Amino acid sequence: MKNNSGNKIKLGVFVFVSMALFIAGIYFIGNRQQLFNSTFEISGVFSDVNGLKAGNNIRLVGINIGTIESIEILSDSSVRVNMTISDDTRKFIKKDAIALIGSEGLMGNKVISIMPGSSTSKTIENDDIIKTAVPPGMDDIMLKVNTTADNAIVISDQLAEILIKVNSGEGTIGRLLQDTTIAENINQTIINLKRSSKGLDENMEAAKHNILLKGYFKGKKKDAERKKKEEAEKVSDDNP
Amino acid sequence: MINKSNTFKFPHTKERLLNSIGNFFNEIANLTGFAGRFFKELFKPGFEFNEFLKQSYLIGCKSIALVGITGFIMGLVLTIQSRPTLVQFGAESWLPAMVSVSIIREIGPVITALICAGKVGSGIGAELASMKVTEQIDAMEVTGMNPFRYLVVTRIMAATLMLPLLVILSDVIALYGSFIGVNLQGDVSFHLFFTQVIEKISFMDLLPAFFKTFFFGFAIGLIGCYKGYNSDKGTEGVGKSANSAVVYASLLVFIIDMMAVQITSLFI
Repeated sequence: MKNNSGNKIKLGVFVFVSMALFIAGIYFIGNRQQLFNSTFEISGVFSDVNGLKAGNNIRLVGINIGTIESIEILSDSSVRVNMTISDDTRKFIKKDAIALIGSEGLMGNKVISIMPGSSTSKTIENDDIIKTAVPPGMDDIMLKVNTTADNAIVISDQLAEILIKVNSGEGTIGRLLQDTTIAENINQTIINLKRSSKGLDENMEAAKHNILLKGYFKGKKKDAERKKKEEAEKVSDDNP
Repeated sequence: MINKSNTFKFPHTKERLLNSIGNFFNEIANLTGFAGRFFKELFKPGFEFNEFLKQSYLIGCKSIALVGITGFIMGLVLTIQSRPTLVQFGAESWLPAMVSVSIIREIGPVITALICAGKVGSGIGAELASMKVTEQIDAMEVTGMNPFRYLVVTRIMAATLMLPLLVILSDVIALYGSFIGVNLQGDVSFHLFFTQVIEKISFMDLLPAFFKTFFFGFAIGLIGCYKGYNSDKGTEGVGKSANSAVVYASLLVFIIDMMAVQITSLFI
């Protein structure tokens, strides 16, 4: 009999602990889904919800404050998203707040981020309709990438044409690079320049010995020597 | 020559096949009748409450250690095994969420049910079969007791109600094992682990998984009692009953699990 009642107590403890764990689990999950907090509801109309689902999170400055209650199609270009948000955070959301659809990560769920709005406007009320904006989605980005790629094709085509012309020696740059006669001409020009500069040197030497210009060259020489002397004296004065 | 042997063998195989198909449907009919009798007896006044508590103790409390150890190892191993794949994706931080969802939705209930099918199902099958063989059940009938109500109803009810509780314990212990598994190679605080687990589990994960465990328990109790209560006479009958109770209970657990998944997916 004693053993029997001991077993009953053990059974009672087992049942109690298991049920307590279960209820705690229910409580924690419900708490996350805002079942036991007081909440308020707002809605927003989007043109495209990008795969948002009921139950996705709503974030304010990066903190989860609520969940998507339901999503309904109003017309072919507008979708209403009803949001349940914890009442504690209501004071931070203003009437001119904006709801944006974002995503939790590369592979993550979609989320709605609420931009709180300006501090001067009034706090949002229950059942208000919040302003919405659609950030560029993956499709928009792909569209832009596509345009860029198209442009790149045009550019690379033209570049290829130019290079083909250059290689075949067409145009100024092409002739410069490909035509050997130009190089020879330039070489000849430099040889000619050398020859004429040598002739000029001889002419100058002859001019120095000319009677009319001799005085001028001598005066120049003397000036240069005097300057040299003065500089040497200065250096020796500075460092006695 | 070949033809002859074929014509000789064929009727034999066909006969056996027909026979086994007949047996199969016969067995199903008997089992359904047995389940019907259980429900009929259950709602009649005069429930054997003390025997029910005793069976609950034997099925519930006596299985805690086994279920707990299995659950712990399950959580630990699943975490360690999942890590390399998630690391490849750079999604190591998803480990607690992923493991906890698979434990709560599927692995906790099914593994616990299989362990109980092995322990409880065979226990009930062998016990009732040996009572049948030693004619204790007949003796009960002679003394005017209702053996079905005393032996079968209490055991099936105990199994049905205790298995969900065992699954809850197993889930919690498996999550603890998973926490240790995460911390073997990483460093995650209990608080963060807990937050990540709770964040990813929804009622649609928890409640269907919880409700199907009642059916698991019912199946284990029903098959165990059926096989034991209808055991063949003789010592062989006991072993056969215990063995087939485990086999059919495990099979039924999987079949119920498959149906539960189908039904759950209708609502998600």
